[in-house]
Amino acid sequence: MTLAFFTISALDLLSSLVPNTTPEERAAYIDWIYSCQIPSGGFRASPSHDLSAVKDGSAQWDPANVPATYFALATLLILGDDLNRVRRKETLKWLRCMQRDDGSFGETLVNGKIEGGMDTRFGYCATCVRYILRGKREGRDPTSEEQDIDVDALVECLRKAETYDGGMSEMPFHEAHAGFTYCAIAALHFIDRFPWPICSQPSEGQRAFNKMPLRKEDIVSTTSSEQQGGRKTCGLTSPNLTIHWLASRLTATISIEDEEDTYADETDTPETCHDAHSFVHTANFPTSMGETSEKSRPSSHFALDWVGFNGRCNKVADTCYAFWVGAGLTLMNASRVVHPTPVRRYLLEQTAHIVGGFGKLPGDPPDVYHSYLGLAALSLLETAAQAAHESPREGLRKPMEERELKALDACMCVSIEAKSRLYAIWQRWGVHDGKDRDGGG
Amino acid sequence: MPEHAEDEAKYYDDPEWADIEPIQQADQGPNPLAAIAYTDEYAEAMAYLRAVMARDEKSERVLRLTKDVIEMNPAHYTVWLYRAQVLFATHADLHKELEWLNETASQYQKNYQIWHHRQLIVSRLCPDPASSAAARGPPFPGAGIDVDSLVAKETSFVASMFDKDAKNYHVWSYRQWLVRHFGLWDKGELEFTEASIEKDVRNNSAWNHRWYVVNGKEGSEGVKEEKVREREIAFTKRQIRLAPQNQSPWNYLRGVLRKANLRFSTVQDFCVEFADLSKPEGDDVFSSHALDLLADIYAVDEGRNEQAKRCLLLLKDKYDPIRANYWQYRLEMLDREMGSGIDSHLPEHETRNLTSAVSV
Repeated sequence: MTLAFFTISALDLLSSLVPNTTPEERAAYIDWIYSCQIPSGGFRASPSHDLSAVKDGSAQWDPANVPATYFALATLLILGDDLNRVRRKETLKWLRCMQRDDGSFGETLVNGKIEGGMDTRFGYCATCVRYILRGKREGRDPTSEEQDIDVDALVECLRKAETYDGGMSEMPFHEAHAGFTYCAIAALHFIDRFPWPICSQPSEGQRAFNKMPLRKEDIVSTTSSEQQGGRKTCGLTSPNLTIHWLASRLTATISIEDEEDTYADETDTPETCHDAHSFVHTANFPTSMGETSEKSRPSSHFALDWVGFNGRCNKVADTCYAFWVGAGLTLMNASRVVHPTPVRRYLLEQTAHIVGGFGKLPGDPPDVYHSYLGLAALSLLETAAQAAHESPREGLRKPMEERELKALDACMCVSIEAKSRLYAIWQRWGVHDGKDRDGGG
Repeated sequence: MPEHAEDEAKYYDDPEWADIEPIQQADQGPNPLAAIAYTDEYAEAMAYLRAVMARDEKSERVLRLTKDVIEMNPAHYTVWLYRAQVLFATHADLHKELEWLNETASQYQKNYQIWHHRQLIVSRLCPDPASSAAARGPPFPGAGIDVDSLVAKETSFVASMFDKDAKNYHVWSYRQWLVRHFGLWDKGELEFTEASIEKDVRNNSAWNHRWYVVNGKEGSEGVKEEKVREREIAFTKRQIRLAPQNQSPWNYLRGVLRKANLRFSTVQDFCVEFADLSKPEGDDVFSSHALDLLADIYAVDEGRNEQAKRCLLLLKDKYDPIRANYWQYRLEMLDREMGSGIDSHLPEHETRNLTSAVSV
């Protein structure tokens, strides 16, 4: 299901889905996805797990899968399906069963036990499924009569995943990682517990929270769904620290050779300083090697022609983090923190492969995962570049260049066009959502 | 029966499997999405796997079959779980399982399932280390597992995995679990982080593990305790001096100060060692992270806003141009008098009573 999503969504972003497929083919794709739906709710990840034809067989080894359910629903939206065949009530019921007592979500349910990891990826997928099926409103859903997931517990779980340096990790005390950080931020948007507005007055925007028990007074800001009344705890206790952490992911260390070179390199200068190694002030630590390189210092920031993102501090850049970090910053209302041009060049000139697609590192063969996320990142960069052109701060009034890629919704990781099909579906279901402020545009 | 040459059929021709009717993959229709071109070997193994899963069979032959499938597709999300259940149900030798995992670990270094499986096996061998204390020492028939021996083997295995990739996320996560499960907080973990940091001062995973060892034990005050705090700050400063442009220890230092509720200004002189803007001949900057921290230190104090701005401008234009837009963003925030760029500390009596972002 993962591969299906990456492929279909990539074609969609390239505006190549409809021109290259027939309505019959797209209908068959939709049927294929539905063939993976489990009667008791959710979708399986692949037909290879399908045991439904087995009479009196044990279904426990053919469980619904949380990420697969997100991929399935997202792909259906892209293909223009109206979600009519989705077992909405059953899926919402199953989703609740996928949440542990500590608020985390798992991957599958086997023999009544929640299996799989407990990290923010599953929280992301689960909250997106919830969003697609019932919007952001909390509490019992009147249209399906299903109870909600425990939103407070999930928020607490996400807060515990915050690290000492502002990122989010797989579990409390694990290392901050861009993938988990993005998933946490997006999940908070889906459940409307994102601390808007960012960077307000310190007394409101940055108030910290004490340990358990959570207090009603510990609000950060009001939510967008005013009809819920009351004030709710939000995630991200230090939004500015998180932005700092995300911004620190920008790196000029884009190949493995870079990573090795910079380990012992004395030739570093302020102009070419990679973040990965010390730039030695040669006046204080004179060596012959240092003196030679001091003399051959370049005069321009040549190393900044290509800028990538790493997933953790002091690691080499990887194509996919251009999305995880770029989208993370977009959702933090801070996409202007990234200068689009060198990142675009990195993607198109370094990790894009000659046969098409993107690999992880320059020279790597392309794969579907990096290719899709490379495109997604480029789409966000286009959006950011357009916003910069339109900004009065720029003092420019350039004509908006035509987009090469469809605009991406940073939260759902599909085109805004695909996501917008939800609104008609919600109407049909009777789902009413407040003003959508998930930062997707 | 899958189409293949007769001599390739592994299960179909095996009399041990004669009672099993393999289950072919369901027909995917005329236009399946992401149809995988499975090898005949894999298709056959999967057909038999589906069959035994459907009966929830727990037997030794299933162990061989699941091993086969895993070796062809270690990312299969239920086969590991199934294998674990079969191992336990058949009272298989879990030590042998660990040996197999050791052998295959280098192939599956980045696979979540293999580490979770290992955790299940080790938990099963030693579900309650505290109560197994009585069994410490050489094992004898009927006694519990030799905990010390198991721990030694596991930590040694983990160390060997780090030799291959010192930043493997799963391995560090597993090590954290080992520490918590076996209570290894004071059993050389701090020294291990020091050795890892000495090997590569830029290994952020090692720094993160140190934070865990120092602050992660339930009930422990961590760096809130003065002696611990002083030790950690001294250690971090030493590491910064080795490589001032390495961000890991700077993040660690900030983290310590925040958790201990100390003002960033307590390290102002230290920062100036690496970013002295007072010299008449011009700025003398060894570390962009020192400048960043100085910007925060100065921003808290309204009278020094201009100095904060100067730091941010130097970062933007000279010392960290890769992040020029971010430093511009920080300058704008400073202008809007929104307080410092990132959460700096104010004394307890002020309304902003910040604790560490890690609220546990």
